Amino acid sequence: MITMIGGEMPDYAEERPPAAGPLYRHLIDWLPAGIRVLVAGPHDAELVGALADRRDVTCLLRSQPDAESLAARELSGVTVVCGDLSKLTEADRYDAVIALDGARRLCSPEGPQLDWTESVRALKRTLRPGGTLLLTVENELGVHRLVDPGVPTAARTGDAWHPLADFGSAPGRADRLAALLGAEGLPVAGLAAAWPLPAHPTLLVTPETLKYGPLDALAALAAAAVAPAYRGRSVLSDPRRLAAASVRRGIGAELAPAWLAVAQRATRPDQNVPVPPALIAGPGGSIAEVTKAPDGGWLRRAVQGPPELNGPLPAGKLLEEQLLSAALGHDLPALRRLLTGWMAALPTVDAGDVLVDGDRFTRLDLTPERPDALARFAHTLATGGYHHPWPGITAPDRLAEVLAGAAGLTTAPVPLADPGDTLPDSRREHEEQMRALREQLADAEARARFFEVELEKREAELGRAKTQIAAFSGNLGYRAAKAGLVLARAARNRIRKGRT
Amino acid sequence: MHHGNHFYGHAHVLAEYCGLDGGDPPRIEGYLQHGWNVVDGLGAGTPYAPGRPIFVWSERTRRRAWSMDRPLATVIGAPFLYILRSTEDDAPEQPREGTIWYPFHGWEGQKVSGDHHRLIDEITATEPGPITFCLYWNEFQDERIRALYERSGRVICHGYRGYMRMRTDPRFLHNQLAELRRHKRVASNRLSTAILYGAAAGCDPAVYGDPMYLDGEDTPTAARIRREWPELHGTAPDPETARATALAELGDGHLASPAELRAILGWPAFGAGLPAKVAA
Repeated sequence: MITMIGGEMPDYAEERPPAAGPLYRHLIDWLPAGIRVLVAGPHDAELVGALADRRDVTCLLRSQPDAESLAARELSGVTVVCGDLSKLTEADRYDAVIALDGARRLCSPEGPQLDWTESVRALKRTLRPGGTLLLTVENELGVHRLVDPGVPTAARTGDAWHPLADFGSAPGRADRLAALLGAEGLPVAGLAAAWPLPAHPTLLVTPETLKYGPLDALAALAAAAVAPAYRGRSVLSDPRRLAAASVRRGIGAELAPAWLAVAQRATRPDQNVPVPPALIAGPGGSIAEVTKAPDGGWLRRAVQGPPELNGPLPAGKLLEEQLLSAALGHDLPALRRLLTGWMAALPTVDAGDVLVDGDRFTRLDLTPERPDALARFAHTLATGGYHHPWPGITAPDRLAEVLAGAAGLTTAPVPLADPGDTLPDSRREHEEQMRALREQLADAEARARFFEVELEKREAELGRAKTQIAAFSGNLGYRAAKAGLVLARAARNRIRKGRT
Repeated sequence: MHHGNHFYGHAHVLAEYCGLDGGDPPRIEGYLQHGWNVVDGLGAGTPYAPGRPIFVWSERTRRRAWSMDRPLATVIGAPFLYILRSTEDDAPEQPREGTIWYPFHGWEGQKVSGDHHRLIDEITATEPGPITFCLYWNEFQDERIRALYERSGRVICHGYRGYMRMRTDPRFLHNQLAELRRHKRVASNRLSTAILYGAAAGCDPAVYGDPMYLDGEDTPTAARIRREWPELHGTAPDPETARATALAELGDGHLASPAELRAILGWPAFGAGLPAKVAA
């Protein structure tokens, strides 16, 4: 059963995926039971179902086909409302408003075109005093945008009738988001930067932690969070590097793809949704939170999933970045040390999942093992646009052999399973590969000319040698023997003729 | 590749280190640096096939090669260092004695101008012990020059470095190392490959005397060498400092394992059953 409130879009289904993922699910679980919740905009049905478990949920969707498909699921405790945000009346008041999809997909072509601030005001009006707002804001200058080959200001999706992109009024920084919400009477109780994509974050870190926290480990976590989201996807440049570098260099919050704000219409602690310093969704549905220990160190605790995650957050830097840095610095001894240590300690764990601290190699996450880990790194090194100590070797499989040797192995490395499927497909690297190929082609042509000159010299030498041989083979003894042979043959032929 | 890869038996040494036939080294996919120099590792006049890597001794040389538009350089260290690290001294109990002196030479076709008499006088006045003069093969074959040095000491030659892969003495570097290990000092009138080898092999190095310029030589380069490596010049430079510099110039710490070297040089990988050697 759907309530049509006006402004609905009868023929349009949302083209981009709804807000989803284990971290959003984990956060909404904090909301108390028995409350009234408005879910504004497209959210994954599983998320809605989890919310509705012990709460009274109303879902607002502008797309009629999407509203119908959600209603068809007949989730208990869920009311589906279809239409434009501006059509919600003052009478519709909720204890919590969930807008994890942001404020962009709440208006239809029919109603007033609310900008970001106006949308937030409209959402606020639906909150009861003391109510909680969970709002995600996409960062138009986030890593996901910086690597996107698409042009956001010329988007072709059916809902891009105003493709404002970064010309819009949404805040451009986490602290400004908090300030703007505060100014609207929605003081922020929790704030986190999100990776790898606004719609499906697997890593949330508070801006405070991104300033003063364990930046190396967080950079590694950011790269690890970004990697699976970009498998085989076309990008401008490698998002793993950009995400890790921004965190490591202290501008992680500024370049994160999105920010999540937990705001309240007034302070009412019993409804608060706590945001820990960092929340990580790992493989296999595990969720871990990072907290500060009393001694100043950082702890990881499995909220959900295997207890192996419990303990101090592994110290050190991401192995992949350390390897690249040693390769770029042509530091062969360091590179060999890292490769040897890695292949001895964790040979089947991807370099993007290993932290190295001195001689200690620790697994960062519980991603599946990869027997081709070394060949994968060779592929990155050969095709990712990096200088390395073996510039004469351009084929990834040959470079993998060199790396295996440098790692102290005497057996051939396991060949790469499928590079196209597992690594981002970066256009900047394509440019570099094109430049390298042009150079190789020019070199090959020059080499062909070089060899022709060499060949001419050798042929001249051979010609001289043949003349010498002919001259020496024309001596008296040789000529006498040759004449004798001719006479003997003639005599034999005469005898044969005489017989016949 | 270039026949220079066989000079001094360099290719042979590396093949043996890699567990391959040292008597018949496989073709190397690139160019080996065959002597110490202050240019791109190869030196002027090497016919260079474009796009082929060069294998240099030290990171410093690699950086210089890059700046000289030779980007395809890989550091593998000096082949001499591979022998030094893998060959035991066959007579360690025998004390080191005297000086092995390398009068500066040109290569075939170059002529040195200078006064051999005056140089020998200066050497005998400086050196405290017996002197072994090691001459380059063409000077060694010159009766007149050899007789001149024989008056003041023992005269040797490490062998012929080979040319166009002919008459290469694959034991050249082994002979040189064995000689160096018998001497307390190594000296020359120019900082050269032999001084670096000697310092690495445990001799106290010295560079002094008339530098005896080559005909048409670029003398500013010789002056630059003296400015750049003062710690190796003089009659008695500090041996430890000099040794550290010499080892760095030979690429100490950069030697590749046999498996790595095979892959780098384009040689066949270790097959099943072949013994694995430990990296130097």
